[in-house]
Amino acid sequence: MKSTATMLVALALSVSAIAQSADEVIDKHFDAIGGKDSWRKVTSMKMEATVSTQGMDIPITVYQVHNKAMKQEINVMNMVGYVIMTTEGGWNFLPFMGQTAPEPMTKDDLEVGKEQLDIQSELLDYTAKGHSVELLGKEDVDGTECHKLKLTRKSGRAATYLIDTKTNYIVRTISKVMANGQEVDQTQNFSNYQKQPFGILVPLSMENSGLPAPLLISKVEINPTIESSVFEVKK
Amino acid sequence: MSHRVLSLFAAIILAGLSLRAQVAVNSATFGMMEARVLGPGSMSGRITSIEGVAADNGRTLYVGTAGGGIWKTTNAGASFKPVFDKYCQSIGAVAIDPKNPKVVYAGTGESNMRNSVSIGDGLYKTNDAGENWMRIGLDSTEHIAKIAIDPSNPATLYVAAPGPLWSDSRHRGLYKSTDAGKTWEKILYISEQAGCADVSIDPSNPQVLYATTWEFRRLPYLFNSGGPGSGIWKSTDGGRSWKSLEKGLPAKPYGRVALALAPSAPQNLLAIVESEKTGLYISADGGENWKQQSASLNVVSRPFYFSSLVVDPKDAKRVYRPAYSFAYSSDGGYSFAEAGSEGASVHADHHALWINPNNTDQMYLGTDGGVFMSLDRGGNWFFLQNLPVGQFYHVDVDRRKPYRVYGGLQDNGSWSAPSASPGGIGVGEWKELYGGDGFWVVPDPTDEHIAYAESQGGDVNRVDLRTYKSVSIRPQPGSTDGKLRWNWNTPIATGKAEPRHLYVGAQYLYRSTDQGRSWQKISPDLTTNDKKKQEQENSGGLSADVTSAENHTTIFTIAESPLDKDLVWVGTDDGNLQVTTDGGASWRNVAANVAAAGLPAQTWVSSVEPSRFDRNIVYATFDNHMYGDHRTYVARSTDMGATWTLLKSPEFTGFAHKMREDPVNRHLLFLGTEMGLFASIDGGAEWFRMKNNIPWMALVRDIQIHPVTHDLVVATHGRGILVVDDITPMRVMDKALLDKELHLFGMPSLTLSSGQFGGGGTVNGGYSAPNPPGLPAFQYYLRDRLSSGGVRVEVLDKDGKTVQSIPGTARKGLNKVYWNQRIQPPKTASGSTKRDIAAFFAPQVLPGDYTLRVKLVQKEHTTPLRIVHDPASTFTEVERRLRHAAAMDLYRMHEDLAAIVADIMSRQKLLKDSLAKVPQERKKKALQAEVDQLESLRGELIPTKQTSIFADETRLREDITEVYVAVCSNEQAPTNLQLERVKVLRGKVDDARRKLDAMAAGKDARGQASR
Repeated sequence: MKSTATMLVALALSVSAIAQSADEVIDKHFDAIGGKDSWRKVTSMKMEATVSTQGMDIPITVYQVHNKAMKQEINVMNMVGYVIMTTEGGWNFLPFMGQTAPEPMTKDDLEVGKEQLDIQSELLDYTAKGHSVELLGKEDVDGTECHKLKLTRKSGRAATYLIDTKTNYIVRTISKVMANGQEVDQTQNFSNYQKQPFGILVPLSMENSGLPAPLLISKVEINPTIESSVFEVKK
Repeated sequence: MSHRVLSLFAAIILAGLSLRAQVAVNSATFGMMEARVLGPGSMSGRITSIEGVAADNGRTLYVGTAGGGIWKTTNAGASFKPVFDKYCQSIGAVAIDPKNPKVVYAGTGESNMRNSVSIGDGLYKTNDAGENWMRIGLDSTEHIAKIAIDPSNPATLYVAAPGPLWSDSRHRGLYKSTDAGKTWEKILYISEQAGCADVSIDPSNPQVLYATTWEFRRLPYLFNSGGPGSGIWKSTDGGRSWKSLEKGLPAKPYGRVALALAPSAPQNLLAIVESEKTGLYISADGGENWKQQSASLNVVSRPFYFSSLVVDPKDAKRVYRPAYSFAYSSDGGYSFAEAGSEGASVHADHHALWINPNNTDQMYLGTDGGVFMSLDRGGNWFFLQNLPVGQFYHVDVDRRKPYRVYGGLQDNGSWSAPSASPGGIGVGEWKELYGGDGFWVVPDPTDEHIAYAESQGGDVNRVDLRTYKSVSIRPQPGSTDGKLRWNWNTPIATGKAEPRHLYVGAQYLYRSTDQGRSWQKISPDLTTNDKKKQEQENSGGLSADVTSAENHTTIFTIAESPLDKDLVWVGTDDGNLQVTTDGGASWRNVAANVAAAGLPAQTWVSSVEPSRFDRNIVYATFDNHMYGDHRTYVARSTDMGATWTLLKSPEFTGFAHKMREDPVNRHLLFLGTEMGLFASIDGGAEWFRMKNNIPWMALVRDIQIHPVTHDLVVATHGRGILVVDDITPMRVMDKALLDKELHLFGMPSLTLSSGQFGGGGTVNGGYSAPNPPGLPAFQYYLRDRLSSGGVRVEVLDKDGKTVQSIPGTARKGLNKVYWNQRIQPPKTASGSTKRDIAAFFAPQVLPGDYTLRVKLVQKEHTTPLRIVHDPASTFTEVERRLRHAAAMDLYRMHEDLAAIVADIMSRQKLLKDSLAKVPQERKKKALQAEVDQLESLRGELIPTKQTSIFADETRLREDITEVYVAVCSNEQAPTNLQLERVKVLRGKVDDARRKLDAMAAGKDARGQASR
């Protein structure tokens, strides 16, 4: 019986020996989605997407310039609105919600929004960006075993990344957003990863806790030329 | 390496291989079958600890509960979220690091040592304000009363552990950590019978500690508080040495001592000392000398259960005694008064009080019935109705539509509510049928106006559900019966084979066939009738406590076979399992047969479940925790109790309360324990923990499966009622199916409906439970989560044309997609300054033969889908077809109008382009005139001026929409005027087309003439 115990201890040791560090998890994740070098080359992105409920299709076009600006153009019943976020400020114009002119974003939205201008993923070179990462272990996400990573941004706001241990894709993020000075969780689920130029992989389906149906991306352009006029707020 | 080890090694490898080859069944297999939390917040449940973040001015609070985990608010109680759902749900103490409020400690295992108290599994810590927790030790303490953190050095903390209630233990005492919980040292230990019940740190000198020790024990039939191990202790060296405080205190022995220190003047101590002279004692010199103060009723009541004593953080003379009721003293404990209240009536039995140190008028009180908040030092109270932590003992359901649930709760009476209601099931939907502690509430299957309810100790009543008037129907002893012994949680059961049968049990079994108007005693004493377990009058220890909670040698569970009205099983709290096959004429005790399978003697029989497939099969659960044994005992007999097999699983945690066999699939079993809900799809060979929006360690006391809706209805002792709607997929999933990459579940037919309810919105205020989905879901199974490639679920008509295409979810296990039974909405006219809601509405499809298809990247499955009209609906199929025809007329009108408007706008664009190019003023004018003429027509068809959503600019599009939306939504044939209106609007659309054509023709004519 002694040797059985010894063997079980040895098994336990081998399990802990293969336990991974946060950096290893992140490295594997980038290997799976095209490599860090490829992602470092991404400077702009344009995506065409639809939120499809059975009542209606809502086309959304997203323009992103890395660390500079982002615009979501939303078409509801042929009325076109937008959300614009730049390093200068943020605006939204949602005529289908009764808005008649663009309105500035709240400070809370701005703070969170600015963190989203990093389109290369905040996990990439996170130390240089002033973020920190901690591996919290493994967690079951709807039946899929995931690494649980906690990213604490330079701002202090935290986000949880759940990364499939088999595919190394991000399955879910839980991010802190601000509402009236208080932190609120926003959950996003990702699936349908597909290869794009430079060999990078982008999830073409996103479920957001704030949306009634998944956002389905139909077209991705990597590094398109995006004129700065796209981000102009027309008052 | 011996051969034996080699073979073990091979076994491990083989086990690993076979696991890989076979898909494991677990909670995720039924991924999207998530529980609906019925709540309610109406009566809430026992609160054991409330701690707030001082730096946050009390907006952030953690509420520990007796059986519902920890709830957090960041808005002073406007809303709460559970933050401890993966761990033990019984919470004894919570403490927040005073310097870093993101660090929170939680001690599991409540220390209000009543008969029904649950058991903890150690101390937990979070570093991120409750998002992630880790267990940091003290795993065997079972009960933790208090955590005290050194305010000057928060890495030093103390944990008072009374320790196990039902057994001797070395794991009691006061524990200290100086490294924020990494390592622990026991610094005050008395004996295996006496633990530590309270600890306080002198904030002005954290080397000074005060602690109380407590000797106590429960047996299934007796409680004792008090003994030589109880005492009051002081240390002046951080716990290295202790001295007993005695001067001026009453003579020993003591029972439980509640100790408090005035934070603003820490030399001032107060202690409620349970003893022969129980009362409040105070000291003004750090415990060296004491004198007696008040011994008012609330001060001395039930010291084992009410251990709270709190001094105002700023005012050393203001003392609160939350106990049976809420009493305050303004003179340091000399006299107490009770506050009147014009607000909520505060529930009795208090266990926690948190006073906001920045605003000491504001306080939160934890009771047996939830959390109350006061802004005037306890004068008046608000009840927070948003904490669904009710402690149900049992649940039952009736056959109404929607069905109602019934259940009794710890210290909160007997309640009923509908399982669905317009706008959701709010706190007001729950009605209390009967008072006291509630247990079994059983609707009469033969009379929908009657339910049977009770309070503790066999107070059985027949309740009229129209008026809630009740009639006492408790059987009375005959001349030779002796005293009837009723369990605290006396069983009431109706017949599963003969629904007129009503049973209740004392030590004898009673049966009525006339709703309790007359009874027959149909058994002899079915218990062991062990006299030494019948001395409840001596229960309590230093303070008598005789409430029927310790009543013993009683019948605890009764079950009539669904296959035979004369086959009845009875289980007792002292280990007898009895069966009659002749309606009670003769009885057979099979306890020895279960013992032969490995069950310890005298183990409490917690439930019996006779199979509805085979009269010889019976399941039973057994609960031995009252003898210190927490193992999960579930047994099955296939020969009517002659031989038994214990069902085992490494997944099991907690002592067993309830076994339920599925009424349709005999292999589908559910088990509820003190720490989780478990299911098996293979007749009990393998089990998995159900985590489907169910706290992993939920205290599951009872389980029902609704015979019509197939809902799994679960009674928890701390999270209210949980409903997993329609468990049909669990019945059909077998191992073969689980190995398939994709499986699409067919449905016999899909009944057209626009949902169960209408109404204006959702219930507001207090906890409100969501309704079940109004329409059935399409369901498919994915063996693995889909990482690349999407899923679509499509409905095709008989010609193969797509009627609707819906993006599906890609999670592992069961996926559900809801279809609104409608086609895609029309393309309505665009270019307006206003939105048009017609773009949200579509006609419902007609009955007929369709195909359901689920599409993955390289795979698709189809199944026939018959869509049918509901003959029970409010309109006929003929009327449905009339509605559809009118709706489609209007649908086409919208699309025609959209084409006309698009035509106008493209012409306008062409004209404007030319306008920019032509130099001649005259031509410019003519072109502009055409643009204007078109604009004038456009302005008749859609709103072009108003941009505000509050401006009601109505044009032809809006006129069509009004009728269209009404016709699409109404569950009736179109009215005569709607049909006339359809004709009028069609005329207008055709007119518009003619006008536009005429303009175009005119232009063409002019164009030709000018050539």
